[in-house]
Amino acid sequence: MMQFTHAAVTAPPLHPNGAHGLGLGLFLDVGAPRARPWPAGGFASTPPPLPTSSKISLGNLNSAGCMEQLLVHCANAIEANDATLTQQILWVLNNIAPADGDSNQRLTAAFLCALVTRASRTGACKAVTAAVAAAVESAALHVHRFTAVDLASFVDLTPWHRFGYMAANAAILDAVEGFPVVHVVDLSTTHCMQIPTLIDMLASRAEGPPILRLTVADVASCSSAPPPVLDMSYEELGAKLVNFARSRNVSMDFRVVPTSPADAFSSLVDQLRVQQLVLDGTEALVFNCHMLMHTVPDETAGSVSLAQSVSLRTMLLKSLRALEPALVVVAEEDADFTAGDVVGRLRAAFNFMWIPYDAVDTFLPKGSEQRRWYEAEVGWKVENVLAQEGVDRVERQEDRTRWGQRMRGAGFRPVAFGEEAAGEVRTMLNEHAAGWGMKREDDDLMLTWKGHNVVFASAWAPS
Amino acid sequence: MAMGTFPFQWPMDPAASTGLDGSFLPSLLPPPPAGSDDSVAYYGAPQMHAASLPELAAPFPPAATDLAMRRAEEEVAGIRLVHLLMSSAGAIEAGDHALASAQLADANASLAALSTASGIGRVAVHFTDALSRRLFMSPTTTSAPQPPGTDAAFLYHHFYEACPYLKFAHFTANQAILEAFHGCDAVHVVDFSIMQGLQWPALIQALALRPGGPPFLRITGIGPPSPPGRDDLRDVGLRLADLARSVRVRFSFRGVAANTLDEVQPWMLQVAPGEAVAVNSVLQLHRLLADPDDHHYHAPIDAVLDCVASLHPKIFAVVEQEADHNKPGFLDRFTEALFYYSAVFDSLDASGTGSPMAEAYLQREICDIVCNDGAARAERHEPLSRWRDRLARAGLSAVPLGPSALRQARMLVGLSSGEGHSVEEADGCLTLGWHGRPLFSASAWQAFPAVDGAEEHPHNSNTSNVSGSSGGGDGGDSNNSAGSSNGGKTSHTHSSGVVGAGNMFW
Repeated sequence: MMQFTHAAVTAPPLHPNGAHGLGLGLFLDVGAPRARPWPAGGFASTPPPLPTSSKISLGNLNSAGCMEQLLVHCANAIEANDATLTQQILWVLNNIAPADGDSNQRLTAAFLCALVTRASRTGACKAVTAAVAAAVESAALHVHRFTAVDLASFVDLTPWHRFGYMAANAAILDAVEGFPVVHVVDLSTTHCMQIPTLIDMLASRAEGPPILRLTVADVASCSSAPPPVLDMSYEELGAKLVNFARSRNVSMDFRVVPTSPADAFSSLVDQLRVQQLVLDGTEALVFNCHMLMHTVPDETAGSVSLAQSVSLRTMLLKSLRALEPALVVVAEEDADFTAGDVVGRLRAAFNFMWIPYDAVDTFLPKGSEQRRWYEAEVGWKVENVLAQEGVDRVERQEDRTRWGQRMRGAGFRPVAFGEEAAGEVRTMLNEHAAGWGMKREDDDLMLTWKGHNVVFASAWAPS
Repeated sequence: MAMGTFPFQWPMDPAASTGLDGSFLPSLLPPPPAGSDDSVAYYGAPQMHAASLPELAAPFPPAATDLAMRRAEEEVAGIRLVHLLMSSAGAIEAGDHALASAQLADANASLAALSTASGIGRVAVHFTDALSRRLFMSPTTTSAPQPPGTDAAFLYHHFYEACPYLKFAHFTANQAILEAFHGCDAVHVVDFSIMQGLQWPALIQALALRPGGPPFLRITGIGPPSPPGRDDLRDVGLRLADLARSVRVRFSFRGVAANTLDEVQPWMLQVAPGEAVAVNSVLQLHRLLADPDDHHYHAPIDAVLDCVASLHPKIFAVVEQEADHNKPGFLDRFTEALFYYSAVFDSLDASGTGSPMAEAYLQREICDIVCNDGAARAERHEPLSRWRDRLARAGLSAVPLGPSALRQARMLVGLSSGEGHSVEEADGCLTLGWHGRPLFSASAWQAFPAVDGAEEHPHNSNTSNVSGSSGGGDGGDSNNSAGSSNGGKTSHTHSSGVVGAGNMFW
């Protein structure tokens, strides 16, 4: 007996066991098109009116917003241990965000990998089977081990690090004027790539070069040391730097201190305390903090010092202040990845990490090895933010305002960057793609991509 | 001392699996030992997969000895039970009702000694029950008991949630369909068993966000007629239409109520010209088979496959159980089913959360295989190798499931079910198995239009009958269509999909 269904009257209630919608809850309410923060290539900068019967495809308009929404749905499903919904969304995402697609797709693919990694460690999505590992390669597997030469040219590809280097070096040069001995403590993720230029600048000082002491924080042995990874021992690196300094008539000594952000670099701080006891006022102590401070646990990390009820991050800044430095320069990414919930961090990271994916098209060709290294690094960061918890999550960025509050709270006052420094930075930016820019924010400098904040540089002296 | 090929010793090594043709001949089991023996070696009985048991030979603390002894006893009881069940089945095949009853009574007694909460006991209780029904109940009442307040859809949903098999079926079929629809602006999915439409939200979402934008999507859902006062097909259609509307996919749904697939004629599907057609069959084809020995009964499968071929589907996704439960001999069939369902129950066990409803779903299949014969038996599972032959004879060509399908399947199965399940690929088909035993297989097919062009089909269409149907793409006034109009794709001219390939009507 043939029957055909008839025209609808009213929608019936969902099946009693379909509380979560049996996958029919997997709706993505596109709603009114969200204004995207970026006018990236191919997108309309103002959302178009909804088409009615036209044949305009809605696919690409707002696809980044849709992808973010799907990722959020996925993260929620994982947190709720809803294996079915998680799988359905992952299936959709795998299809719409191939790892070799456009910048939004590659961004989404990296987030997808991070969520899969997270899912494989939690609740309903239990064991990490070999199959999962094979199917979704963890970002950590692809992080490249650089030679010094490769790393030097790699960090120069984009202003991401160069910006901080230039601003910091200029501020350092100013601050150490008149001091015959300069002690730079390098708390950086990029393995002294900033230093050769600093040595040059010190060598050309009008009053002649100082004696340079360089102390480097070595966090490489920590469980979650952020990339890039240097394929060379610090001893060897240090020897090369010392030789280079000598060639510029700068007398330099180099010291490496293994230390860990997990205890606010206490081994390094302790050593410095001992050294400071024998100072005679001829030495300028400078802290160069380049992207490493955000790895020190903040209040949301739950690890609080027992002696005082403050976070390790606050303790570190107070320790630095107690050492009476001439200058502390801080270069950090202007983003906040400290939300306690994964969805909050996902949104924050998605709305920041689009920048490297968007920018990479301008300086690295598709399929190039360097692009793979670059995106692997970004992927590592995304995975760390989303899939790691506790001490293993080191990507705990805070924004410029928050860092400023911290520095002031620890007893520092801002030191503005001079016009010369700003000018040098602008000149450097001209070597890179047109999307890069710079602006002043209060006393700080801010690197921008298509008008969006990327990295800030700030300089501080004891108040 | 090895106990021989005990049916529940699933090999851990996939290379030692029984192979895709599912052929299996049970070896005669040695009689169970008189009592537990200190030199009995342990091997992987289903409830012990994860545990690593100490060798009895090594000394270990007394408490562990007790536990080990109890386990040994249980294992022995399990072996004995299986032996008895198979003997009973053998007696049934030989027509010896009395012997079968006696063996079954012994089996029931053995059951008492076993925990029926897990392992051998759990699946054996269903087979014992089924044998009882076969022996003692009249044929009209041999269908499995239905727990109160449940129906097929309810059990299906629980089975869907509790283990990865239906999910694997859906996303593997969806992957093939999504890839086949690449570049097509008008697409039509024919679902042989729409149920609650669980398969389709993910596909709709993926189509919504595909580069270049979504196509105009039609879904034709086939399902059984609803009881009076309900219109299940319409309800599913409405929910899917709502979803499609929310993601801005032009959509229309049509329900076709039929008790069996051979009642469905191509013209009812109303394939429009220029549409890319996907036919989706998840665990449906086996119901159309007949007894291999029955040469008088013309099985509907060939007609249905011809019908599918006549639609010239861009993709025909087929998922079936990977087992031979259509063997004419009762003992063969019984034994094969015992192996198969013990693996499935084993995997249910291992997924942690027990699901009695999922078990009830499986119990119905077991009852059907054991108790029903002839036209009453629907669960006529056949292995992939035989399906490949049938589909090829019907003029369908195999479409390999690509690397994406394999990667997705591995990732998604791995995420939801932890250790034990694996997805293997062979000859462009995927199989999902438990500890090396393949349980479900997925394949994809297509049919090309006849070179000499289409023939007009005489039975065309009186589309007026059909337009009472809802959701059909018949016009913008249908409440089932999403948002914007159907853009004029309603030209369901009759003969569109129905081409050549012989007389479909019989």
